[in-house]
Amino acid sequence: MLFYKSLIKLKHPYIITALVILMIIFTLALLAPVLTEYDPENNDARNRLKPPSFKHFLGTDEFGRDVFTRLIYGIRASMQVGFSVVILTAVFGIIVGVLAGYYPSLDNVIMRFLDGMMAFPGIIIAISLAAIWGAGKYNIIFALSFAYFPKMARIVRSAVISIKDIEYVESARAVGAKDNYIIFNYILRNCTSPILVQATFNFALAILDEAALSFLGIGIMPPTPSLGGMITDARSYMTVAPWLIISPGVMIILSVLSLNLLGDGLRDFLDPHLKGSIKN
Amino acid sequence: MKKLFTMTAVLILLTTLIFSLSVSAQEERYGGTLNAAVKMSVAHLDTDNSTDSMISSMMNHVYEGLFEFDKNLQVQPHLAESYQVAEDGREYTVNLRRGVMMHNGQEMNADDVLASFDRWLRLNNGGNIVEPYFDSVEKINDYKIIFKFAEPYAPFLNILASPVSNQKFVVRAEEIIDKFGDSVITEHAGTGPYKVENWIPDQNLTLEKFDNYTASSLESSFFAGERTPYLDRIVFNFITDSQVRVSGIQTGQFQFAEEVPRDQYQIFKANSDINTQIIYPDKMAVLITNNGVPPFNNKYARQALVYALDFEELGYAMIGNPEFWRLEAALHEEGNPWHDETAGEGIYGVYDPEKAKELLAKADYDGTPLVILSGQDDDMERNGAIAIKDQLEEIGINVELQLFDRPTVVEKRAKLEGWNIHLSPFIKTVPDPQIHQGWTGTNKWITNWDSEESREMDEIFERMVKEVDYDERYKIVQEFYDEMWDSVPYFNILDFSRLHITRSNLRNYQPAWQPFFWNTWLEE
Repeated sequence: MLFYKSLIKLKHPYIITALVILMIIFTLALLAPVLTEYDPENNDARNRLKPPSFKHFLGTDEFGRDVFTRLIYGIRASMQVGFSVVILTAVFGIIVGVLAGYYPSLDNVIMRFLDGMMAFPGIIIAISLAAIWGAGKYNIIFALSFAYFPKMARIVRSAVISIKDIEYVESARAVGAKDNYIIFNYILRNCTSPILVQATFNFALAILDEAALSFLGIGIMPPTPSLGGMITDARSYMTVAPWLIISPGVMIILSVLSLNLLGDGLRDFLDPHLKGSIKN
Repeated sequence: MKKLFTMTAVLILLTTLIFSLSVSAQEERYGGTLNAAVKMSVAHLDTDNSTDSMISSMMNHVYEGLFEFDKNLQVQPHLAESYQVAEDGREYTVNLRRGVMMHNGQEMNADDVLASFDRWLRLNNGGNIVEPYFDSVEKINDYKIIFKFAEPYAPFLNILASPVSNQKFVVRAEEIIDKFGDSVITEHAGTGPYKVENWIPDQNLTLEKFDNYTASSLESSFFAGERTPYLDRIVFNFITDSQVRVSGIQTGQFQFAEEVPRDQYQIFKANSDINTQIIYPDKMAVLITNNGVPPFNNKYARQALVYALDFEELGYAMIGNPEFWRLEAALHEEGNPWHDETAGEGIYGVYDPEKAKELLAKADYDGTPLVILSGQDDDMERNGAIAIKDQLEEIGINVELQLFDRPTVVEKRAKLEGWNIHLSPFIKTVPDPQIHQGWTGTNKWITNWDSEESREMDEIFERMVKEVDYDERYKIVQEFYDEMWDSVPYFNILDFSRLHITRSNLRNYQPAWQPFFWNTWLEE
C-alpha cells in the first residue's frame, strides 16, 4: 500500500500504465479456463478461418480453433516461460554474482567465463541450446535462463563490490559476523533494486525470445498455444485471415512494452539519485 | 441480281477467311522469353543421378522418353515409332522414329538408346526397379531394339515412361554418356524442343529453343505427342519464398509461379491478370503405421485407425479449400486405367469411433501413448499430424506428437522403434500398380510389416508383375485393393492438388503433374 501510495505520489505514469496493462494480461491468463467455453487444442476444421464474430470474438484459425481462447492460453504459456526464466536467472545470477563479487579469488575466473558467454547474443545461445536439446517448453526455459543469467550475475557482482566495503559491512565483519550472514543480511538486501529491475527486463526478453523460438519452430510444440507459435502459423494466412496475426502480435507488443516500462519506472523509482528529480 | 448475290457471297467468305486467319495468327505466337518461378533450386541437371523431381520437371524440355504418358496417364510411344510385346511377356520390340535430331547435330539412333538405357538401368531409381527382372537388350539395326526379360515383366513400358520423380527413361546422346559415364552430366544433348543455354546454380536455368527439333506426329496430350516450341527462351528462376513467387506474377515479372498458397485462391481468381492452375491428378495424403511394433502389428488396430479418423475433417485441416482435395480410397485416380471405384468399400471414410474402440480392444491395445512422427515444413504433414492427434485423443487415445525437419523425420522413421504413425505425401500419378510394391509387402519401405498378411500381399505382387494381359492384371489389382483395405498396412486419406498460377498472357498452358512450356505461347 505504501509502495502504491508512493507511486501515486510520484505521479509516475509509466509504472501505473504498465501495472494496469500487466494486471489485465495476468488476469486473462489466470482466468483462461473460465473466460472461454472452447478448448485451445480442439479442432473444428469445417469452421476454419472464420472472421471475428459474436461466437468467436477474435475469429478462428486454420484448424477452426477459437483464436481468443488460444490467445489467452498462449499468454499463460508465455507467462510461465517468463516467470520461470526470471526465477532461474535470478537464482543462478545471484549465486554466481555474489561469489564473484565477494570473493576476489574467484572473480577473475568467473568473470572471464561470463565475458566469453556474453560475447554471443543471448538469442543465439538460446537458439543453439534449444536446437540441441529439442523443442519444448522446459527446454526453452533452460535455454533462455542459461542465455540470460550472465547479465544478472554481472549486475549482482557490481552491486556486491560496491556494497561489501561500505562501513556497516566492515563493522559486521569486525564484530565477527560470518560471510553467509553478511551476504544475506547486509549485501543482498541492498542489491534488491538492481535485481528487481533486471528481472523485469529478463521477463520481457523471455516473452519476446520464446515467441522468436516458437516462430522458428524450436519453441513450444504445437498444438499447445504460444504467442510466437500463433504468429508462425498465421504467417501463411496473412492475406486471407489477418486477424490471426494481429491479436498475438498486439499481445506480445503490450506485454513487452509494459514490462519494459515497468523496469524503467522501477529503476527510476528505486534509484535514490533520481528520486529528487522525479519529485520535482 | 444473281451476279450481285454471288459477289456478295464471295466477299463474305473472303472476309471470314481473312478474319479467321488473323485470329489464328494472333492466338499462336512464336517468340518471347518465359520467366517461370519454381519453388526450389537443384544440385545438378542429371536425372539419372538424383531423385529430385524438379530436375525432371525442367529437363523434360531437353530430354524425351521412348515412351511418354498422355493426359489420361496412358503410355504412348514418343521417340519410339511403334512397339510389340511378345505373347509370353518376355520381349519388347521397339522401333525408333527416324530422322530425330539431337542437340549435338547427330541423328538419334539405337546406339544412343542403348547407351542411355544401360546408364538408366544402373543409376536411375526407375531403372533399379526394372533391373532385377531384366535379361538383355539386342540391337537389330539402327532403328530397332529388343528388350528381353528372364520372366514375363508387365510394367516395363509404364516404368520407362514413369512420371514419378526422376524415374523416366530419357534418351541422351551416346557421346555425352561416353564422356561422363556414371558421373553427373554437365553437358547436355537430348532430342527435346529446348536445349540448355545457361545454368547459374541457385539462381536460374535458361533453356533455348532447338531449331532442328523433330516433333512427334501424334496428337499432343501432356507429355505425349507433338511438342511445338513457340517460346524462344524459358528461364526457370529458383524462388523459395511462395509470397515472392506470387508477387512476381502480380507485377508481371514471372509468367508462371509454381505451388502458391491455396488459401489465396479467391484472391487470384479475382485478379484478371492471373490464371489459376489446379493440378489433377497430383498427390495423396498417406498415413503409414509402424507395423513392426504394437499396437499396429495387429491388423485390428490398423483397421481401428481408419474408423477413428474423420477424413473429411482432416481434409479441411490438412488442405483447407475443398476445391483442392477429394476423398479417394483407390491409389489411382478416377479415369486412370488402374482406378477401382469399389476399393475400400465398407471401411474407407466410415467414421465410427465406437467401432474403432472395439477393434482396439480386440487388438489388446494397452493404452501406451502413440507417437505421431511428422514433418513440420510441409503444411499438409504438419496440419494433418496435429488434426490426427486431436481426433485420436477424442476417443481416449494418448498421443505424443513429434514434429521435426525433413532429414530428422527420414532418420527417425527408418528405425523400428520410436514411432507409430507417420504422414507423408505420395505422388498420385504413379505409372503402374507394380510401383506400390515398393512400399507394400514384407518389410517394404518403412512399414516394418512382416506377418502372414504381408506374405499374402507379396504373393499378389508376384502374380501382378508377370501378368501382361490388362484385364487379367486389373483383377489382380482389385485383389491388391481388397487385401490392402483388409490388412491396412498404410492407407490413402485423401487426394489433394497443388495450385500454380500463370500470368494471363501465357496461353494454352496445360496443368500437368510436372509443369511444361512447349505448346504454350506468350500473347503480345
